[in-house]
Amino acid sequence: MRSYASAAALSVLAAALLAAPAGAQDRAVTIVLPEGLDIVDPCHVSRSNIGRVLKQNVVETLTEIDPEDGSITPRLATGWEQLDDDTWRFQLREGVKFHDGADFNAEAVKFNIERMLGDAIYCEDKAKFFAGTDLEVEVTDDHTIDVTATPPQPILPTLFGTIAIGSPNLPTDELTREPVGTGPYVFAEWRPDRDIVLERFEDYWGEPPAVEQATYVWREESAVRAAMVAAGEADISPTIAAQDATDPEMDFSYFNSETSRLRISMDVPPLDDVRVRKAVNHLIDREAMIGTIFPEGVVPAANLVVPSINGHNPDIEPYSYDPAKAKELLDAARADGVPVDEEIRLIGRLEVYPNATESMEAILAMLLEGGINASLEMVEVAQWTDLATKPYAEDRPPTLLQSMHDNNNGDAVFTVYYKYHSEGAQSDTDDPELDRKIIEAGAATGEERTKMFQEIFRIVHDDVVPQVLLYHMVGFSRVHPRLDFTPTLATNSELQLSQISFKE
Amino acid sequence: MGNFIGKRSLSSAIALAGLVILVFFLARLTGDPTNLYLPLDASLEARADFRERHGFADPLIEQFGRFVVDVLHLDFGESIRKARPALEVVLEAFPWTLRLAALTMAIVLVLAILIGSIAAYRPGGVFDRLSSIISLAGASAPDFWVAIVGILVLSVSLGWLPTSGVGTPWHWVLPVGVLIIRPFGLILQVVRGAMITALSSAYVKTARAKGVRQRAIIFVHALRNAMLPVITVAGDQAAGILNGAVVVETIFGFPGIGKLMIDSILQRDFAVIQAAILVTAIAIFLMNLLIDIAYAMLDPRIRHG
Repeated sequence: MRSYASAAALSVLAAALLAAPAGAQDRAVTIVLPEGLDIVDPCHVSRSNIGRVLKQNVVETLTEIDPEDGSITPRLATGWEQLDDDTWRFQLREGVKFHDGADFNAEAVKFNIERMLGDAIYCEDKAKFFAGTDLEVEVTDDHTIDVTATPPQPILPTLFGTIAIGSPNLPTDELTREPVGTGPYVFAEWRPDRDIVLERFEDYWGEPPAVEQATYVWREESAVRAAMVAAGEADISPTIAAQDATDPEMDFSYFNSETSRLRISMDVPPLDDVRVRKAVNHLIDREAMIGTIFPEGVVPAANLVVPSINGHNPDIEPYSYDPAKAKELLDAARADGVPVDEEIRLIGRLEVYPNATESMEAILAMLLEGGINASLEMVEVAQWTDLATKPYAEDRPPTLLQSMHDNNNGDAVFTVYYKYHSEGAQSDTDDPELDRKIIEAGAATGEERTKMFQEIFRIVHDDVVPQVLLYHMVGFSRVHPRLDFTPTLATNSELQLSQISFKE
Repeated sequence: MGNFIGKRSLSSAIALAGLVILVFFLARLTGDPTNLYLPLDASLEARADFRERHGFADPLIEQFGRFVVDVLHLDFGESIRKARPALEVVLEAFPWTLRLAALTMAIVLVLAILIGSIAAYRPGGVFDRLSSIISLAGASAPDFWVAIVGILVLSVSLGWLPTSGVGTPWHWVLPVGVLIIRPFGLILQVVRGAMITALSSAYVKTARAKGVRQRAIIFVHALRNAMLPVITVAGDQAAGILNGAVVVETIFGFPGIGKLMIDSILQRDFAVIQAAILVTAIAIFLMNLLIDIAYAMLDPRIRHG
């Protein structure tokens, strides 16, 4: 008797369990990310794994940067104008409410800016975009603010595309674990060991999106993420490895706004001689590595930013593969007493991108072939960041450091200062003329700004040569066929649920 | 027995204190987490500010002093990454690993003892050879590969099991299935070896001569004596899983302590490393205590000695 009862109970249990998974509700989607979230505070949305969940879904920005051409469009701000060199006026959207019922208005924006810039909490958005900048916010009327920046910020509207506006009820002395914004989705549940659930906000000010609920889970293994979409457990995996992108029905490749390069320690002989740096550039056969070590679709780069970023210079050509010319340059340098045969260290960062080690091995072979006395070492990310960031070790050897740079923020200023100005935390250059041009370009606006950045990229590429540029990189995502969604340049750092629709 | 437990606890507490001190300094030998945590573009002032804020700018000995005082108040500090107490983070992950280890070892022990005992009954027989081949093949396959193939076949092609994650009992099948393979192979061999020795011993021959039933000879007389080495090896294997089944946790997105530890080491999240190592060390100490007690119960010589 007892065994019958337990058998019946078991079969009921089994039926219940079998029915439960898989068939997610029609208008709900599951997104599988490569890593979980440690923090969900709105003042951290510029960190890509946080932005991908929160930005424009839960919390919105005043302006929005178009990933395709870098132009700035209204979001929570409806318009803006520059009052003088330091001050910008923003008109705010009316009739917008936060998920907790608070009104979106000038005071709320002021609260967020002060919260982010204050000293009570660490905000990534401040460290990334506003370190050393002071913003004074004046509430002109309920839906108008005047923002005065010291030093002046000629691209304040662009910068406001990077910071999110949360509810004025957020705590000011600690990071929140329940982000509240104005976005089309409410942050419904967060189980840090498992998942995050967003639910559609029915009082959203804009068009109601098609997706009603989104669940985010995370799996570190690319093969598992791909398998989850294939098995119907997940609908989108924003990033999968190239080798897992095997199904043309589901897999997309897209420019992910990353550019790979080797940084040159320009202050250390023999790399302090521009001829040696140019020779190294001419020894890399960039075409040969496409479709073999780097995936099909990557493009040899001549700028450290991708073409859609304001300031990209389309007229520069990548260094040609020309071992004869390299030899000429090296011989000339040697004749002038440059210690060309000094050992140059290639330092790679493990898994900075797929096949990172293999690519460094190929580059090592090319350099050795070209008569450069090079050696290779691969390091973990922790060691790498110490090498990549100032202050550099005083006795560092001549080094080529494998790096990748991501700029999807619309404007080249985010790149040139940190990478090329002598004060930049990750810069290898020390050139007062270049410094002056960078500061000038940063303060310019419009057409002139674009031209000045283009000129900087030309000088850096042709004359300064602080790097061996490799490729504008591609990423791969897998999207379940039931969805209508195409990954873009922005997918790396934001994934707007409102851009997803259903095919049937 | 009480005296025995007291002594063991004292010596373990000293070892734990040494471990905590060692981990504190070893972790910091790798550098500070500032550059890792801040965005690459962060300015030098932002970096200096962050160091100041988290006390990394202070001399190491001062940091250690603060740490000792905090630990004595049972405060393991904040996880820099997660901006919440490190102990809370660890205690969220540890039960998952504990359940994973318990379930895996229970299944392994039952299967290995049953199959190993039967195999030992006729060494060299068909069943013995077959079980040896299967267990050795399993133990030699890399678990990374078994896990991925398991997902592709059982989840993607056949659709029988969820690929990964937690939630229903079905989610446990693949992780546990992969985890049991290696300890099963190993413990099966230990059971078999110990049983062969036990079955050829004088007391088993005596039992046979008295006409005791086969089943009782194998599972009562011989097995009890064969259990000592099995418990030793099983304890070792269980400790391995308690320290984190990193590969399985990573692939199956299983929120256990192994992945947490690896991540916090890579990110130099010192408070989490310290709390995690202390929690697993205490768990392993408790398990070893249980093993010692089991020994004493199985073997009167240990009890009286």
